[in-house]
Amino acid sequence: MPVSTAMPNRVIPVLALAALGLVWVLDLGVVLPNRIVAGTGYGLYGATGWAGAFVVTALLLAAGLLATRPVPKRFPVLAVLLTAALMFLPLLLEALATRRLPADSAYARIGIGAGFWSLAFFLALMLTETMHQLKASRHLQLTAALLIILGWWVCARREGLGSLSLLREYNNQADQFTQALSVHLLLSLGAVLISAVLAFILALAMVRRKSWRRPLLGLVSFMQTIPSLALFGLLIAPLAALSEALPVLQALGIRGIGWAPALLALIAYSLLPMVRNTFIALMEVPEAVVDAARGMGMSERQIFFQVKLSLALPVIIEGVRITTIQAIGLTAVAALIGAGGFGTFIFQGLGQAAMDLVLLGALPTVFLALAADAVLSALNVRRAPGD
Amino acid sequence: MIELKGVTRRFGETVAVDGIDLTIETGEVCVLVGSSGCGKSTTLRMINRLLPRSSGDILVDGEDVNDIDPQALRLNMGYVIQSTGLFPHWTVARNIGLVPDLLKWPARRREQRVNELLTLLGLDPQTDAARFPHQLSGGQAQRVGVARALAGDPNILLMDEPFGALDAITRELLQQEMLRIQKQLNKTTVFVTHDIDEALRLATRIAVMDQGRIIQHDTPEAILRQPASTFVENLLGSGDRGLKLLALRTVGEVMERHPEPRRPASDTTGLNEADSLRVALSAMVWENATQLPVLSKAGCEVGIVKREQLLQVRP
Repeated sequence: MPVSTAMPNRVIPVLALAALGLVWVLDLGVVLPNRIVAGTGYGLYGATGWAGAFVVTALLLAAGLLATRPVPKRFPVLAVLLTAALMFLPLLLEALATRRLPADSAYARIGIGAGFWSLAFFLALMLTETMHQLKASRHLQLTAALLIILGWWVCARREGLGSLSLLREYNNQADQFTQALSVHLLLSLGAVLISAVLAFILALAMVRRKSWRRPLLGLVSFMQTIPSLALFGLLIAPLAALSEALPVLQALGIRGIGWAPALLALIAYSLLPMVRNTFIALMEVPEAVVDAARGMGMSERQIFFQVKLSLALPVIIEGVRITTIQAIGLTAVAALIGAGGFGTFIFQGLGQAAMDLVLLGALPTVFLALAADAVLSALNVRRAPGD
Repeated sequence: MIELKGVTRRFGETVAVDGIDLTIETGEVCVLVGSSGCGKSTTLRMINRLLPRSSGDILVDGEDVNDIDPQALRLNMGYVIQSTGLFPHWTVARNIGLVPDLLKWPARRREQRVNELLTLLGLDPQTDAARFPHQLSGGQAQRVGVARALAGDPNILLMDEPFGALDAITRELLQQEMLRIQKQLNKTTVFVTHDIDEALRLATRIAVMDQGRIIQHDTPEAILRQPASTFVENLLGSGDRGLKLLALRTVGEVMERHPEPRRPASDTTGLNEADSLRVALSAMVWENATQLPVLSKAGCEVGIVKREQLLQVRP
């Protein structure tokens, strides 16, 4: 709950103290002799020296202290401070590289430590709380997020971070990365789109026919309970057989492995949240509203589009949001059956014990899910009537 | 004019409405009153074809409603229900503009009509038009519901327990508004309620229903004076029938009018012409007076009403 500006804020100081503890205890970064061998960890002081340690400590203390003081405009100041801190966070790793990276080794690289992630995470939480206190508009929140991304992008392009292991992995695989991105998006969004259409039809059928409700809900719930790996695996044999039997399918690139079984499995998983939300949303339109609409002389078509669907849309979009996030995550697993996408890097990295290659697959997957969440939530906020 | 001839409605084995005949004249308010399950709502919903009838004829201005396209039929019949049925995702203005919108009125005319109705129902076009239904009180929401029903300027108004969910004070206020608006617009109205006082107050004629049949169809006064059966008698309640009778007449009908309005004595309580005789009697008991002056809106004394005149209402 937002409280009056005069009240001391307790959340931000607690977060700041937690961040301070973690950043001093955990390793900020690691210097690795090459991509596989375990490296030497460096804490905040070891990595950045007195100057860096002072800046980080002072910033966290200042933010925590400021939040407890009844200073007017403290939250706008905090917002600017925290956004700037997050923007330039990668400079800490750059300091580590400058100070600790052996100059004579072409394979030496910098890994990101738990301390860095903790700091980034807690700063982000503090910024979220600040935005909440400010009752910041979506516009402002989006601007802050974009500024932070811009900051990281600029930092990543600087010479000093060229030795960052993650970036090295990226540079090695830049082409594959772009391809993985497009495959990942096509697979997950394609599955969401197809299952949205299917779910809509199924939900309509369930609304119309009472006897279909239990079996249909049971079926889509059952599909959800199959472990994803198993479903991917189970689809290989029948699809391979189909593809053998029908040359048309072969020409389309449908085989036992690859995108076809992945897409099918993703659609199967997406059906439950979509069908359930669409069905519930349509059923929950108040009977009185429909009665009034009909009594006022609206046609069934007008009632469906202007009243029922309109009222159901926020819940349906919520279903699409959950499904999209889920599908983006599951697509990473689909790399196991050769579907491509960011999962490829994750499984390659696991195979080669190269954790930064795993990160190269995992981070963009998380980022895509967050972006999908933000876009679809924004869509819903815009539709909700004012209060 | 609405005519129901031998109209029956069955739900499976049960007969909800059992061969009723009812004529509702143009411009009158016909109140269907009875306990729940007596078939009054079913009757109403058959008029605008929200429910199909099992047998019989329903004619509106001589034309069978089954021969009219249901949407066209309903666009010409305002419909108000107890739970308002306002569209929660539309503003008040858009809710009221629904029928004009369906009738494809030009935007300008629609907007004008919405403002006109907001004013008529005692809402503020400036502030209330842009609000959403969940921001309104129960009384305001039902005002919007009535405004929406009137928006297309229909000939007929169907109201299904419109004030049933409101508190007593708001209900009475809306009943007053309804009388005022009806005097102005003269819509042929079918009004369903289980509240006999509401029926006596609003009706031109009352149709008392029980078990799918019409027990008595007459003016409020006639029903009060000669209830057709013990059922009607019980519905009226025996305790305050005299007071109910007084409530049907206004002070203006029985007062002795002064030839010239005069200045009232400063300390007396006055009545209005529109006050019911029941209110007048209550005031006299309270004031311990045998007569009270009747004041105009401007505060002039226009006449006088005496206690014995009130008591002569039942000859």
